[in-house]
Formats: sequence, C-alpha cells, structure tokens
Amino acid sequence: MNRHEKAAVAAVALMLLAGAAIFLFAPTDFLQGPVQRIFYLHVSSAIAAYGCFAVVLVGGIVYLRNESASADRFARAGALVGVIFTTVTLVMGMLWAKPIWGTYWTWDARLTSTLVLWIIYAGYLLVRRLAEPGRQAARLGAVVGVFGFIDVPVVHFSVTWWRTHHPGPIVVNDALPAEMLATFFLTLACTLVLAAVMIAIRYRIETLQDEKENVLLAAQVVPARQPEAAR
Amino acid sequence: MTVFRVALAVARKDLRSEWRTRELVPALGQFVVLALLIGNFGFQIDSRNAATIAPGILWMALVFAGLVAFGRTFAAEREQASLEALLMTPASPVAIFAGKAVAALTMLVLCEAVLLPALSLFFGTPFSFDLVAAVLLATIGLAVLGVLFAAIVARVRAREMLLPLLTLPLWIPFIIAGGQAVQSAFGLPGSYQEAIGLLVDFDILFVVLTSLAARFVLDE
Repeated sequence: MNRHEKAAVAAVALMLLAGAAIFLFAPTDFLQGPVQRIFYLHVSSAIAAYGCFAVVLVGGIVYLRNESASADRFARAGALVGVIFTTVTLVMGMLWAKPIWGTYWTWDARLTSTLVLWIIYAGYLLVRRLAEPGRQAARLGAVVGVFGFIDVPVVHFSVTWWRTHHPGPIVVNDALPAEMLATFFLTLACTLVLAAVMIAIRYRIETLQDEKENVLLAAQVVPARQPEAAR
Repeated sequence: MTVFRVALAVARKDLRSEWRTRELVPALGQFVVLALLIGNFGFQIDSRNAATIAPGILWMALVFAGLVAFGRTFAAEREQASLEALLMTPASPVAIFAGKAVAALTMLVLCEAVLLPALSLFFGTPFSFDLVAAVLLATIGLAVLGVLFAAIVARVRAREMLLPLLTLPLWIPFIIAGGQAVQSAFGLPGSYQEAIGLLVDFDILFVVLTSLAARFVLDE
C-alpha cells in the first residue's frame, strides 16, 4: 500500500467513526426527529467545500504571481473536490428541507448562493477540460477561480433582503447540547481530513497527467496542431 | 499615449468596423424583438399581469442578447489574428480591455434602445427614466464581465458553449439587483433606491476587479 492508499483508508475509517457518532452517540432532536442528523454532515461538507474553494483561490493567485505549476494543480484538485462536497451539501440540504420546510427547494439567500457556487466551479472544471492544457488554460482557470470566490458572497448579500428561511448559525451561540456539539466537531474534523486526502490524491493524479502531457509534447506526437503553427 | 486615449481608439475602431458592416446591432435588435414575441406566446399576457411578467422577459432577452454581443467581441480579432498585433503594441492590456468593453457596452445599449420601447409598446408597461437608469447601470456590469470572459474563452475551443456557462453565474448579482429595480419601476413592491444602490456598488466592484484581471487575460 502506498502513501495515498493508506491515507484513503484512514479517511474512510474516520468517516465511519463520524457516522457512528451521528447515529449512535448524538441524541435525537426533540422537534425535528431523526432528520436532524443530516445537519452534521450537511454543515461539515459545506465548510469543507468552502475550504476547497479557498484552495482554488489561493492556488489561482499564486499561479498568477509566479506561474507555479503545482499551485495550478492544487487549484484543479481543490475545484473538483469542492464541487463534490457542494453537491453533498445541496443534496443533504434538500433531503432535510423536504420534511422540515415541506419543499425540496426555496429561493433563499443561502440556497441560491450555494447553487451559484456549484455552477461556477462546475464551469471551472469544464473550462479546464475544454481549454488546451498549458499556461493559457491555467491562467484562465485562475481568473475564473478568483472571480467565482468573490461572486458567492456578492450573490449571498444581494438576496439577503428577501426573507431567509435558512437556519442561522446555531453552533456558535451554544444552542446545541454538548453531545450534539461534540458529534458536530468530530464530523467536521473527519470531513476536513477526507477533503484534504481527496485533494492530495487528486493532486497526484493531476501531476501524473501533466507529466504524460509533457512526455507527449517532448515526443512531438501532437501533429494535429502543426498545420496551424506553420501557417 | 494615455490609457484613456488607447481605450477610446480601440472602442472607436470596433464601433467603426460595426458601422461599416452593420451586422451585429441590427441582428441584436431583431433578436430582442423575437424574444418579446416568444414571451408573448409563452405567457398569457393581459393588462393585469403584464407588469409581473415583463421584467422577466426583459432580463431574459437582454442577457441572451448580451451573450451574443460579447461572444462576437473578439470574433474579428480571432479571424484576422489581429489581437496578437494589438497586444504587441506598447498599449497596456487594461486599455485594450477597456476599449473593447466600451464598444460592446455601446452595442448593447443600442440593442436596449430597441428592447425597452418595444417592451413598453407590446406589453403596455410604463417607459420611465427609472427603468432606463436601472437597465443602463446593470449593462455596465454585464459588459465588463461579459467582455472579460469573452477574452478568456476567445482562444478555447467550444467557446460558444463556455461563454454562457462562465458568464451567467457571475451576472446573477446584476440580474438580482436589476430585476428588483425594474420590478419597482413597473410599480411592483420593493425598494427602487436600495436596488439602484446595489447596482452601483456591484458596478464599481466588478469594473475594478475586471480591470485588475484584464492584465492576466489579455497577454502574450
């Protein structure tokens, strides 16, 4: 087993531990019942997604400053993992909203901005897939990553004058009993480890892909672009 | 040569080339009228619900006309490979970007000169200074973001597909605030002042950000 496989096994074990805490240790919510248990993973994966997009932002800024190829690989890895965690957040949120709010979706500030977040970074991944790999694509990706990060608070701010249904931050004002709080922080820590491991693995894949690209370029096996260059 | 003179020269070049061919603006004008026609068939519009439906049709038509207009911004440069020549001059990329954005903005404003009166004519909504101000303020933000991303996708294959995917989510703040402002201008509830204030804030924010980013997008 190599480093990455060991890390993956550890991350999965930690998530199983978090699952045990969520279903066995945490008490059932008096008002919402078992549905409330969605909260632990929902909020944790939202925070993990923001962390991943912060990686995209920092990677993009570093790339624009000094064209470091590893910063760009971190940005690509962060975007993919972030989109996965945003998807988890959205799906779990909708599953929670159906019994509690009576609808899967409402155009609330936080739901709208999370959906926009998902769309922007899914667009980022598409740009990286469609653009010819290289400096140009990395720069474009960096600009998209920076703008995407700025746009989300802007969208959130601009819809907050509409009445918001989303529960406010309940972790910070100690409205949660100690067992729930402990379960939440355990789940958060495990989710963040999982996100970090996923980014590390994806970073390795991106490195290998870049190496393959360089080998192909060095061997001059890209005849498709030659006529254009000769023109 | 100052940044402003370069920007004006680039804008003038784009507008002159549009004036000589007269391709884009008539096409956009026809496009928005067709969009209103489709809106008319898609909804059952009468004098009572026109004010609630018209803002939606207005923004749909404007956003998609904008995508067409901004997608064409770098088309001539790409076909003639003249962007490289433009960037080889000592002119700063920010000035070139600003000129491109001003030209695209002007063309979209010309398109709005068809869209807004046609909307009032066909849907019977009030044509007021408030409406024009809200749409013009939103157009500034749409133009700077649209031209920045048009520059980004100009050298990417499948650019027609990517431009909407990248631009539309970043336009959402302008659609939210502009949509609110137009609804208020049509007499629906909501604060016009607040929406206009947000539009001005977003314009300033994104004009500054896109100018900063232009250096990285328009280079080499």
